[in-house]
Amino acid sequence: MQRLAAAIRKEFLQFWRDRMLVALVVFIYTADVVICTVALTFDVKNLTVAVFDQDRTQLSARLVERFSATDYFGRLVPVERFGEIDLLLDRGEVDLALVIPPDFARHAASGAPAEVQVLLAGLNSNTANAARGYVNVILGRFAHELLAQAAAARGISTDLPEVVPEIRIWYNPQLEFKHFMAVSMIVVASLTVGVITTAASLVRERETGTIEQLAVTPLRVDEIILAKALPPFAICMISLVPSLLIGMGFGVPAQGALELFVLASVLSLAGSMGIGVFIAGFAESLQQALLIGFFVIFPLMFLSGTTVPIDSMPRVMQVLSLVSPTRYYMEIALGTLLKGVGWSALWPQLLGLTAIGGAMAFAGWARLARGGALIGRA
Amino acid sequence: MILTALARKELVEIRRDPVTLALAVVLPVVMLFLFGYGISLDVEDVRLAVLDHDRSQASAELLERFTSSTYFRRVAELRSPGEAAEALDRGRATVVLVVPPEYSRNLASGRPARIQVLVDGSFSVIGLIVSNYVNAIVSEHSMSLARRALAARGVVSPPEMRVETRVWYNAPMKTVNYIVPGLFAVLLLAFPPMLTALSIVREKERGTIEQVYVSPIRPAVYILGKILPYAVIAFGEMLLVLAVGTLWFQVPLRGSVVLLLGASLIYVLVTVGIGVFVSTTTRTQVAAVFLSLVATLMPSVLFSGFLFPIATMPYVMQLYTYAFPARYFTDVSRDLFLKGVGLEYIWGNVLLLAVYAAVLFSAASLLFRKKVA
Repeated sequence: MQRLAAAIRKEFLQFWRDRMLVALVVFIYTADVVICTVALTFDVKNLTVAVFDQDRTQLSARLVERFSATDYFGRLVPVERFGEIDLLLDRGEVDLALVIPPDFARHAASGAPAEVQVLLAGLNSNTANAARGYVNVILGRFAHELLAQAAAARGISTDLPEVVPEIRIWYNPQLEFKHFMAVSMIVVASLTVGVITTAASLVRERETGTIEQLAVTPLRVDEIILAKALPPFAICMISLVPSLLIGMGFGVPAQGALELFVLASVLSLAGSMGIGVFIAGFAESLQQALLIGFFVIFPLMFLSGTTVPIDSMPRVMQVLSLVSPTRYYMEIALGTLLKGVGWSALWPQLLGLTAIGGAMAFAGWARLARGGALIGRA
Repeated sequence: MILTALARKELVEIRRDPVTLALAVVLPVVMLFLFGYGISLDVEDVRLAVLDHDRSQASAELLERFTSSTYFRRVAELRSPGEAAEALDRGRATVVLVVPPEYSRNLASGRPARIQVLVDGSFSVIGLIVSNYVNAIVSEHSMSLARRALAARGVVSPPEMRVETRVWYNAPMKTVNYIVPGLFAVLLLAFPPMLTALSIVREKERGTIEQVYVSPIRPAVYILGKILPYAVIAFGEMLLVLAVGTLWFQVPLRGSVVLLLGASLIYVLVTVGIGVFVSTTTRTQVAAVFLSLVATLMPSVLFSGFLFPIATMPYVMQLYTYAFPARYFTDVSRDLFLKGVGLEYIWGNVLLLAVYAAVLFSAASLLFRKKVA
């Protein structure tokens, strides 16, 4: 026991001495969360619209006014010619253009189809899709009003059938991306830090040759591993506290089963550290370890639902993502922090995380215990 | 002559480490496949659960509108509000449609028939697009009911509105057309800067650089000789990903091929230039790897506009994005691929890339000269 305590004390001292690494860990859990949450968003607001009103009637003005009345469209740029629209779209100065043909009001009055044209800059498919949705909603309402008006003009007044959808957005009523982003950054931090610190500390010990000295001490291999794993583990778990506070500062409710989140964090961190051990086993130098680390982290990060939803990925990749512990951790983090749900909803994810994260941690442990990764490839 | 000798020596070194070379060629293609397929915000096949209290012909007609569209897939029939909450909590459904018991009665009597739509908003963009789909489908249904009612009362030609939507540049609105041209810029940052930096820093660590210092080789010539092979490799890498992007992912190249290759060449020089610059500011290989990955690759992924649009960032962060050359090339690449515009639109970004390369190389030569003196 005393022996283990001494080993742990030594590892903490050693970890603490590498201020760069400690600073990096703290940076990833705090400043990085803030910067990315503030800067990165997929939300589509304040779109700029070019308006080419060839009709210039009361009716067309009423339609244009609908566009300026919502948050989604910001500036309206009146144009006089089609050529101007081309130019504005090509330069990226407007996101979409609304064209009202000269006979719009006349057609609407006579019962002929009144057409409008919408040109969307589809460069960013996501922006275009959202913009198209807004436009359709505005035009749909306008059309229904026209219909009701025509009916009223012919003496048929109140009893026109109408279906009214009451849309309630759950978990994120303001539909803001920053809540998701803050949670996602915390999840990614555990992945990055777990993999990199473990791989780096093992490889460095080997490079400096001090690992042999550890190996000849009376410490058992599992004790060495435990002592080695504790400092990065502890600092990550401690860093979760400011991380969570930052997230809550951004409005993440964190009303779910927090103990489940903490448990999932432990499991996920253990899994990441297992990956780190494996990388340390392959890598001949610290530089290789960093390199491999990054090319493992990047795909894991992008394909586990931390950046884009898994639902949008092709089926094959959705199946592949089932082996990523980060996927389950992300779902548990979203569930507990954003959705406010608990054990009853998230136990399948916890099971998956325990199985895969546990397997990875165990594989890492087994590899180290055999001495392979500890002493080196030779 | 010295230049070719230096380049030949570097080639020998590269050939001695075939694993790294193979990785440098293969990994970008692997990443292109992973991200080209994986990074998608396309919203199709949204999982829809239904709680129909009305169970009438009218409600069936409404639900039919949803299932017949390609956007929704009906995954569950629910029996209670509790089940609805559970479906959303567990993520089994993204949307729950609740039809109240008085739905058909309201419709028949001409009162507004309300339905409730519960949308999982945790990923805001998807939540938004889904609610837009719902709105569009319901309003279309509502219109057709109203027209039917009017027709039944003898109103022959009620006013009608038609929208003609045209999507420019990316008509099928596929994420892949947006992502892949930007990926070219990011992928090229993964290897060339690091390989170049390592080739110089390695000599520093081994001390063989002293021999260069005492030789009559001028710093600029030494650097050129060092980077030439890496620039060639990087350009080959670029050609490879461009080929995969256009041939496999079928991203349409609407602009000029010559312009694209020209801009790519300048960008390739920027990427090896970053490597040279990193090598002059670091002394160890670890620091060089760390700097080229953490300081250039990571932020370029997030702040180049390849995934997250720059226009929605706070102003200060928008200024920050100008520090990353991937931003300029992402713009150029999208302009050429999707918009098909010419030099008159892209010259600004190309010029900035050229300036970026020039600054990197002159700074590196200067710093290098200082060490020699």
